[in-house]
Amino acid sequence: MSAAPRAALSAAQIRWLGVFLLAALLPQAPFVPIWVAGFGTMLVVLRLLLLYRDRIRANARPARIPSWALAIFAVAAGIAIRQSFGYFLGREPCVAFLFVLAGIKYLEARTARDGTLLVCLASFQIVTPFFYSQSLLAALAALPALLTLGSVLQVLAQPSLRDLPLSEWRVPLSRTMKLFAQGVPLAAVLFVLFPRLAGPMWGLPSDAGSKSGLSEQMSPGSISELSLSDAVAFRVDFDGAVPPASQRYWRGPVMSRFDGREWVATDRRTPPAPRPAGRPVGYWVTLEPNWKSWLFALELPVGPPTAETANGGATDAIGVLTGDQRIFSRSPVTQAVRYRQVSIPGETYSAGSTEDEDRVENLQLPLDGRNANPRTVAFARELRAQYPDEIDFIRAVLQWFRTESFYYTLAPPLLRAPDPVDGFLFDVRRGFCEHYASSFVVLLRAAGIPARVVTGYQGGEINPTGGYLIVRQSDAHAWAEAMLGGKWRRFDPTGAVAPSRIERGLGGALPTSEFVPLLARLDQGWFKSLQLTWDAFNHDWRRHVIGFNYDKQRSLWRRWNMDQLPPALVTAIVAGLIGLWGAGTLGLISWWRRRNADRARVLWEALCRRLSNAGLPKQPHEGPLAFGARACARWPEFGVAFRVSAESYAILRYGPPPEGAGAKRQRDAALARLARAIDVLPAAAILRATPS
Amino acid sequence: MIAVMLLTSLNYGLSLGFVATFLLAGLAAAALLHTFRNLAGIELAPLAAGETFAGGTLPFTLAIAGSASARHAISLAAGGSVPVTVDVIPDAAMPVTLEVPAPRRGRVALGRVTLSSDFPVGLWRGWAYIHFPLAGVVFPAPEADAPPLPSGRHGEDARSDAREGDADLSGLRSYQPGDPLQRVAWKAVARGAGWHTKHFEGGGSLGPAELAWHALPRTLEADARIARLAAWVLAAERVARPFALSLPGSTLPPGQGREHRRAALTALAMLPEPPQ
Repeated sequence: MSAAPRAALSAAQIRWLGVFLLAALLPQAPFVPIWVAGFGTMLVVLRLLLLYRDRIRANARPARIPSWALAIFAVAAGIAIRQSFGYFLGREPCVAFLFVLAGIKYLEARTARDGTLLVCLASFQIVTPFFYSQSLLAALAALPALLTLGSVLQVLAQPSLRDLPLSEWRVPLSRTMKLFAQGVPLAAVLFVLFPRLAGPMWGLPSDAGSKSGLSEQMSPGSISELSLSDAVAFRVDFDGAVPPASQRYWRGPVMSRFDGREWVATDRRTPPAPRPAGRPVGYWVTLEPNWKSWLFALELPVGPPTAETANGGATDAIGVLTGDQRIFSRSPVTQAVRYRQVSIPGETYSAGSTEDEDRVENLQLPLDGRNANPRTVAFARELRAQYPDEIDFIRAVLQWFRTESFYYTLAPPLLRAPDPVDGFLFDVRRGFCEHYASSFVVLLRAAGIPARVVTGYQGGEINPTGGYLIVRQSDAHAWAEAMLGGKWRRFDPTGAVAPSRIERGLGGALPTSEFVPLLARLDQGWFKSLQLTWDAFNHDWRRHVIGFNYDKQRSLWRRWNMDQLPPALVTAIVAGLIGLWGAGTLGLISWWRRRNADRARVLWEALCRRLSNAGLPKQPHEGPLAFGARACARWPEFGVAFRVSAESYAILRYGPPPEGAGAKRQRDAALARLARAIDVLPAAAILRATPS
Repeated sequence: MIAVMLLTSLNYGLSLGFVATFLLAGLAAAALLHTFRNLAGIELAPLAAGETFAGGTLPFTLAIAGSASARHAISLAAGGSVPVTVDVIPDAAMPVTLEVPAPRRGRVALGRVTLSSDFPVGLWRGWAYIHFPLAGVVFPAPEADAPPLPSGRHGEDARSDAREGDADLSGLRSYQPGDPLQRVAWKAVARGAGWHTKHFEGGGSLGPAELAWHALPRTLEADARIARLAAWVLAAERVARPFALSLPGSTLPPGQGREHRRAALTALAMLPEPPQ
């Protein structure tokens, strides 16, 4: 800032700062605790109201809140946040604290230094909402903050804008837009070329939480929470065609132990039973770090995963395949790993030598206690009595899911102990895949059929440009398998409730039931098509903007053969591009200014040159009117054109500066008159040939 | 700030964070170009140097012109002056006066002029240094309670004090440039009768005051002498009494008027510093 750091902020500047703060803080209000959002926003509004009071009661003593009170506020807010989150040094509490801090600082901002500090604090908070959402909506929500940031910088820096009222927002805003427009090419270059990281450099202590992927436990809500994350779990390049969505079950942790509410994976590593031959599908998986020691494979994998060698081939096994068809890596995956895997798509596999152990383990149910789920058990036994055959019984259960009023939703009501499965199956009937898989397995076990929960990912989106499959955390899924006649067989109860989840993924399954269900049920065509268009936008957005990460950047560079250039050359190219941008923009600015400022003079000087060539040079002391009169006398047949052009130019150049409404129009009209009058005049050669 | 945003985006892989960060970087870079463009091609010309008494501020007037394009928030400063910030309209030269503090008598050069601007967003400050051969004169500060003017040819004379009030208006003569403004016959000017200067009998009869360095008491320091002589010059001018000034190394014949006063004060200002 140019102003001395101690210089006082004007009321207008404080008002602008307040508007900027609101624009920067409000987009993240949904992501901080509600009291934090309310308190922080209230502080900003309070200051604005105090300013308003000062203005309407000019003689009132300006309201001041002592600094020590604000310091106490800040400490109290810090403690409250610590209590509310249970910890302080983490991303979420820090974001919440910054939110409140901005409000508190604003309440006492008086000097230019305070203004600078606030601008920095709030600018950072333009980025923080992106921790939680990077949708198109989040991007749009950040726009007002970016635009007001440019404006507030001008109001803080420019003495002439110091007392600019908010109602004059067009002045700084138009300049901000111009600056952004000129900066966009550079921003694009940086976006594409600035190196990304494959993994984080640091994480605040709490960050390695549930968002990183599947875990060994599954309780109601754990997968639906994961489904909110756009993060990529892994990408797959298939050797041939991509199998259809209904076959793309990516197998992860298999869970056998159940306490009535939570499922826990067993970590028994037995050798796999031999598989009958089939049509193998080969593919490469690029797994994002998940800090777990398991890998994902298409059901059902054949053989262990192998590593990529320098020339693109695969040699060494980097993990093992176990009897429950899972693959484990040698060590936890802490950075992106690429491995080759072969699968034979299928739904059944032999339990092999561990059949008896499996049978015992996967019939276990909590029989007594708070989570015995007695209604479920009774219902299963009743149904089993009707369907003695195992497969008939399973079909009946799936049919029951299909016909009863079950809803597939990301936001089911909370299931409370005791007996959460009872509560889900008979009372609430609204749930996500983990609810269906879990209750399905409980029903089967209660009916004496060994069954277990399998978690992993289902589906994934095909990237048409890259031709590969992207599997995101939002594709996380839970299904079930049951042992029938010594073979494990996959069943997906979610498919019974929401078939589109399996075919089209979460996005295909949810919107009709989740987003504004009332409107969706009315079957309003335009609304649906609007939503689909929005979805397509969001999809492109996600793919091209949000999805532009380390991998995509690398592959783009590879396509441009940039990865083979020496780093010095790349640096030189980037520097060259920036220089090119600078020169180009500077030229554009100069050209634009000249065009705007000088149109009248350019026209007039061209006319003077023409007349000089025709033998009538303008004398240095001559004004436009005198010169026009002289030209009139020399070429009386063009007298009107000379008079009009000289008068128009005199008005444009020496007339009163444009002020008030209509002034610009008047000047434009004068400019047009000048241009027309000059157009009428013939070329210099013809003028010269005219006898005087 | 941008670095912090960049680090955050980098660590958490926030593509939108990168977008926001790079947009701001683009804005900052474009602002740099505007800052440069705003300063480039400005023409600055020296107009005049003013005069002042020691302890005051010495005004230097410069003309600033921005050729065909408007220039915004251009700050000018020199030698500890308060910066002056102006907007320059296209095709016009604007006078800018810099008030440079002048604590001591003597000739003061304008020195280095700093032309700067942080237009448009205050993220960058462009500047240029310009030197002009422009110098002004700082007159010595007059003694605060100086003794009355000496009269006649015989040194100090207290009569002058009594006489100057009694000076009788003896008539009008036509105005000549340099006549003190307080002696212009304003009523005549207002009547449209042209410019005339009042002629006083009494003041004239007193004869020119002899202001002489060597006539001052020997006990006075050099600076005190200069201060007293300056005060006397001003006093003589106030009562429109001609005076002569003799200093070591220079003398000024009896005279009167603005030019004479300036010559006298300049001569005083330019006296060499006494050897310590």
